[in-house]
Amino acid sequence: MRRTLLVLAAAAALALALRGIRLEEDPVHSLAHPDPIRAQVFDRYQAQGLFRDLIFVEAEDLAAPDAQALAAGLREAGYAEAPLFERPSPETVLRLAPLLPPDEVERLMGEDALRRRAGEAASVALLPGGDAVLEELERDPLGLGPALLTRMAGAPSGGGPAVRAYRSPRPLVYDRIGKLYDQLVRLGPRVHFIGGDFFALENYRAARHDILVCTAVSLLLNLLLFHAFTGRRVLLALLLVGSAISYLCGLVAIRAFFGEVFAVVLAYTSTFVGFNTESVVYLSAIDPRRKREALLGVGSALGTTLIGFLLLLTGRTVMIRQMAVASLAGLLGFLGFLALYPRLLASVRFRTFRWPGLALSGRSLVVLCLAAAGVVALAGVPAVATHVDAFRFQTPVLDRQVAHFSRKLDSLSLEDVVAFPAQGSAEEALSGLATQGLVDPARHPLARLPPRAEQEATLRALSGYGQAVARLVALLEEEGIRIAPAPRLPPAVAPLDGWHYLELLGTLGPVRWTDEVGGRRWLMAGLEPGAAGRDLGAAVAVSPRHHYDALLTTLSRELGLLFLAGLVAMAAFLAILQRRAVRVLYVFAPLFLAAAAFAVWARLTASSIHIVHLMGFSLIIAVGTDYTAVAVSGGHGPVERSKVLVAGLSALATFGSLLLARHPVLRELGATVAAGCAISVAFALLVPLRQGAGEGG
Amino acid sequence: MIAALVAAALLAAPGAGPPVTPEGLRARYGGIRRLEADVVQVKEGKHWARPFESRVRLRYTPARVEWETLAPLHALAVIEGDALYLAGPDGQRRDMGPMAGDPRLEAILRFVRALLSVDLPGIERDFALAYGPGELTATPRPGSPLELFTTVRLRFEADLSIASVDLETRDEKTHLRFERVEQEPAPAAHP
Repeated sequence: MRRTLLVLAAAAALALALRGIRLEEDPVHSLAHPDPIRAQVFDRYQAQGLFRDLIFVEAEDLAAPDAQALAAGLREAGYAEAPLFERPSPETVLRLAPLLPPDEVERLMGEDALRRRAGEAASVALLPGGDAVLEELERDPLGLGPALLTRMAGAPSGGGPAVRAYRSPRPLVYDRIGKLYDQLVRLGPRVHFIGGDFFALENYRAARHDILVCTAVSLLLNLLLFHAFTGRRVLLALLLVGSAISYLCGLVAIRAFFGEVFAVVLAYTSTFVGFNTESVVYLSAIDPRRKREALLGVGSALGTTLIGFLLLLTGRTVMIRQMAVASLAGLLGFLGFLALYPRLLASVRFRTFRWPGLALSGRSLVVLCLAAAGVVALAGVPAVATHVDAFRFQTPVLDRQVAHFSRKLDSLSLEDVVAFPAQGSAEEALSGLATQGLVDPARHPLARLPPRAEQEATLRALSGYGQAVARLVALLEEEGIRIAPAPRLPPAVAPLDGWHYLELLGTLGPVRWTDEVGGRRWLMAGLEPGAAGRDLGAAVAVSPRHHYDALLTTLSRELGLLFLAGLVAMAAFLAILQRRAVRVLYVFAPLFLAAAAFAVWARLTASSIHIVHLMGFSLIIAVGTDYTAVAVSGGHGPVERSKVLVAGLSALATFGSLLLARHPVLRELGATVAAGCAISVAFALLVPLRQGAGEGG
Repeated sequence: MIAALVAAALLAAPGAGPPVTPEGLRARYGGIRRLEADVVQVKEGKHWARPFESRVRLRYTPARVEWETLAPLHALAVIEGDALYLAGPDGQRRDMGPMAGDPRLEAILRFVRALLSVDLPGIERDFALAYGPGELTATPRPGSPLELFTTVRLRFEADLSIASVDLETRDEKTHLRFERVEQEPAPAAHP
């Protein structure tokens, strides 16, 4: 009774500690470049980027009712239309004025234009709310701003429907955004849409599905399995309550170390019941006469599992670290819970079976492992590369939208923008990149910077600015309207150099073209398609897709090295515990076979190793080596084999459940670990190490 | 003119008007196909040398609003969809050029269209509404592109036909007095 109260109190306290935890839907947000300069270049580009807090909708030939319904849908979801180009401040307008052609400036300051402008302003001012027009007129009396925006944004090309931008509501209410999303999908293909909110929404829906389905299926299968092998309901209750405790411990640990939890990590915690089943199995039914062997197996199994989790803890993506923290805390929480019930664990009995098998000698084992290594060498170690598509959920609907807008961005030379460290003038920097075949200078905004002589001609034309403004004010006064604009150009208005021009352009438009980070000047330019894949040295990919692909590949390589380091640590740990090289080799033998199978599969399917495979490998060495460790520690006795069978089937059920997930991270993780564990459990059950093998060390 | 404003203000004093409710306004103005009225507009504020009175003919249909100033000058502003254009004396259309496509201008145009037809959902898009005796007061929602307005007040006759609208911005007050309002379907025939 006291134990039950203690458990309930602990569960209540843990649940209370979870208050205020925030959920993050999009796993891409867990990525940050480890190099602070590169991270800053990317973040600053994105802070102003096309997709930051905006969605874009392009509608073509919509009937009036559909257009109205779409406008209502956007409104109800909380979206407010936003300009693609910010209205320049009066100061910025004047600083950019040299960009206008001299003849356009003269036209804007001509008597006809001034009369027309005054007449239009008076007419519009007579509308209710029309004084907003007069405010605008006061800020920019000659209309230089709209002329500049037209020049910078380009005249409507007639090359397709206009794209409209909408500011995202904060916080996101997924139910409302979901309705809008479904409406947009129904309107396709006449409507195209894109924005971070839609990725977050799809990941939210996928994560919600995965959390429910994977947890339910995994729990049910494990309880059925446990019941089938032990036949005791009290043990089911032990597993169920203990799993709840471990789940809470995992979440509290995430809460303690991170501000928010990734939804995909919550879905991943459905695997805890599998780890817990394994712990119950290994710690129960220990024969007092063979306690030493049993504890050797338990120590080996739990130790390798902990090493596997610690390995993931050193990963550089927040999402992977959250999985590791949750796993470690969940495991420790469950072990603490089990410590309250030693008698119950001791009373457990497993059904035993007769197993056929091919006993291996130490020599045969070495040959087998060498052969597997030879297969890996022949098939070749697959390349390590991760694309962002493998890291987050994305339906074919969004795939089509991405493809559509990628084509549009490509036409603007914005699909694959790279920040290049630059020296000298902007023109020299761009010219250098063009010489290397990296960029097309004709597609860079610098191509639209007028020559200095033309800018000077514009400034000469603007010398009549004060007189034109005075004339406009007088014309408006005749209509009874007063405005008080700045009477003359500030003296600082001067021809623009390349860097200055790009900086000003970045303050108005949705794209930053230059920046200063880490004491260096950076020039942004669209990478030519032919240059994709080339080593760009210190340059930074700043378009999200390309940036995350490069970043995930770097992080995958790091995780690969950590995985190898983890294997060495695990081998050292097992060498201390098992004291026989051949026994350690036996524990690792399934990994050799799994590696060979993976290498052949990767060769046949031309697949590469990506970051989720590496996460899976870490879990395989955490879980998959347990079976051989327990089996060899217990001398392949019938009880140990039954334990291996139950734990193995539990792992297969748990990670197999992840195959039902929508999220590619979970699905790929489930497939990798289930395949690795299947090889491992089959090896431990069917290929025992011959008694006495390796006794000589 | 000032006397007229004072009279209008007195007539609209709290408790003096008919009960104005969302249901009542929806019944009166929902599904409106046409509304025409003569409007006397008075604007005063920072940009006006003196209170500026103009006589206006308003013609509203769901697809188009014409705001035709008849005196003291003649001007015809037309709102169609999200576009605003002026029709000159020669009948030629003069688009407001680069102003078109500016979401802030479009928000103002949408609001004007909603306001002139007492389209409650259209007004509520950017304003919080408060109903009082004889009047409806609209205050911009935080973050709305129409925050330039500080208050908008609509006053109604006993039969809920619109009597006047007052719009206030930081620098300007606009008073609209509605006369000879005709609408289709006619209020009596309206369900």
